[in-house]
Amino acid sequence: MEPGKDNANPTILNPDDLPRRRRSTPSTQTKRGIFDAFLAPAYPSLADPLLSSPEVLSDLSSDEDDSDATREEIDEQEVYDLISSITDPEHPLTLGSLGVVNLEDITIIPPSSPRSRISSVQVLITPTTSACSLTTVIGLGVKVRLVNALPPRFRVDVRIKEGTSSSADEANKQLGDKERVAAAMENKNLINMVNHMLSSCE
Amino acid sequence: MPPQQLKPLATFQPPCNARTWLSTPHPHLPLLATACSDKTVRIYSLQNFQQQATISGGHKRSIRSCCWRPNSVGESVLATGSFDASVGVWKRWEENAGAGGEVDFTGRGLAGGGDGEEDEEWRLEVILDGHDSEIKSLQFCPTAPLLATCSRDKSVWIWEELDDGENFETMAVLQDHEGDVKCVGWHPAEQVLASGSYDDCVRLWREDVDDWGCCALLKGHGGTVWWVEFEGVEVAKNLKEGAESEERKGWLEEREKSGPRLITCSDDKTIRVWRRQPKEKKEGGQATGMPSIWKNRDFEEHWFEEAQLPLVHDRPIYAVNWSRKTGRVVSTGSDGKIVVYEEVWRTGDVEMTDDVNGRKNLTEWIVVADVENAHDVFEVNHVVWLERCDKGKRFEGEEVVVSTGDDGEVKVWTLD
Repeated sequence: MEPGKDNANPTILNPDDLPRRRRSTPSTQTKRGIFDAFLAPAYPSLADPLLSSPEVLSDLSSDEDDSDATREEIDEQEVYDLISSITDPEHPLTLGSLGVVNLEDITIIPPSSPRSRISSVQVLITPTTSACSLTTVIGLGVKVRLVNALPPRFRVDVRIKEGTSSSADEANKQLGDKERVAAAMENKNLINMVNHMLSSCE
Repeated sequence: MPPQQLKPLATFQPPCNARTWLSTPHPHLPLLATACSDKTVRIYSLQNFQQQATISGGHKRSIRSCCWRPNSVGESVLATGSFDASVGVWKRWEENAGAGGEVDFTGRGLAGGGDGEEDEEWRLEVILDGHDSEIKSLQFCPTAPLLATCSRDKSVWIWEELDDGENFETMAVLQDHEGDVKCVGWHPAEQVLASGSYDDCVRLWREDVDDWGCCALLKGHGGTVWWVEFEGVEVAKNLKEGAESEERKGWLEEREKSGPRLITCSDDKTIRVWRRQPKEKKEGGQATGMPSIWKNRDFEEHWFEEAQLPLVHDRPIYAVNWSRKTGRVVSTGSDGKIVVYEEVWRTGDVEMTDDVNGRKNLTEWIVVADVENAHDVFEVNHVVWLERCDKGKRFEGEEVVVSTGDDGEVKVWTLD
């Protein structure tokens, strides 16, 4: 067992067993990039400066006038695709292949009333060991990835799956705390860790 | 549908291109200060909704909160609390400093000119270091030269101003909370401070002989307490006008003995009103005025949960503000809603409305107005009531709501 790792020999899933859509949808992939800019205000240090240009933002505001019918719908598989390619902070493996994120643990909750436009995405993550000290960092990576990639009408709730971690309550509270997440994203060490995790995405 | 409507009046220009956290009105000038995650504070005019100045250069990380010092004559004083763990104190001379502090709210104060040269005039007076991690909130005491700050380091600090705000000395470091302290708020008439925390609790603090200590622990919320605020000194007029019966009059008297109540909001999606249990008066110790009642009494205070406001929010509630003028309450949060509530006399069977402690509650809170998607699809971090100062003001003392959002916008809403 390698020292310094909580779980030196994690179970790795066969790539062929990972959930995926039969047909890829490249058009939505490119479109989603535009939305990255929308979250630039929230996590400026993580956003691509090119995407924050005024033209992109004005494109976005014209998109808002679109009716619900033309609004891009997002399903669980798309959310899974966004986060399964994140690299684990300890291993050169993806969260999908380690079974940290699973399709069946992703839930999209539609707006609570006809007047509201706000949906939420709930992701339950399964740490590789019950004592994984990096659980909160993994959760933070998943949260940042989704907040940056999804349209801003989605609230992103990342939680530790019940019964899988000894410190789940603590991690859940931190991941659900907007102020803490915002402050974490101004912390150089954490930014570097998260950027490393997200470097394998797209 | 609620009986009234919140209508958008204006958005301050230009908006910030990063998250804005909180906005607070100047104590007597028609100005608004907005704390921004781009490490600046924007000063906006409440008369024309345009930016007057940007305060920058003092902090290395987001400015989470800012507050004006009340009762400053001839000079504006603003304190900023940042994720860089420091507090900045900024000053600017007021143009009509010779006017004895009484500034005509509707006239051409310094906000009316907009000639752009104000930018140079804001100066950083002092930086207060001491907290170990991000500052979340700060507030000047309205009745004494004290500044309270709180932080993720689980502590509340009380600073005493020396030499008219040129220096500050640490008066107390209060460490009873078991998690980040998210917010602090001063009592309007007494030197009592409330704080809300990540540990889901609210604590009240005051000075006992020479030491500050926790005089009350308020438990009930099931999540982080994001905001605490005391009521104004006066009980809402609409309740007094409706207090015809002896029962209602007696109930109001009883409430006045408690003094201003406290309102809190939380991640648990509730808003709660807390009231102090009035202490029995000692023989012969009956001096006039509120503060004397508390002298030479037991240090500990007993507060109870008096009411919960209607459950309207379906995500964490980040801010709640109590109008000093009308007693109305406004709230906002992650769901992007702004909701206005009013306390009214209960009609119908009062016997059925005892609270958990068996006390009769003769009033109830109702929703009088709400708006969804107040900042498009973004979260709203803060709301505050303030007196309307623009030309369109419809009556003396008209109040508007100002909301501050993740979209970098600060908006003004009228209540119709």
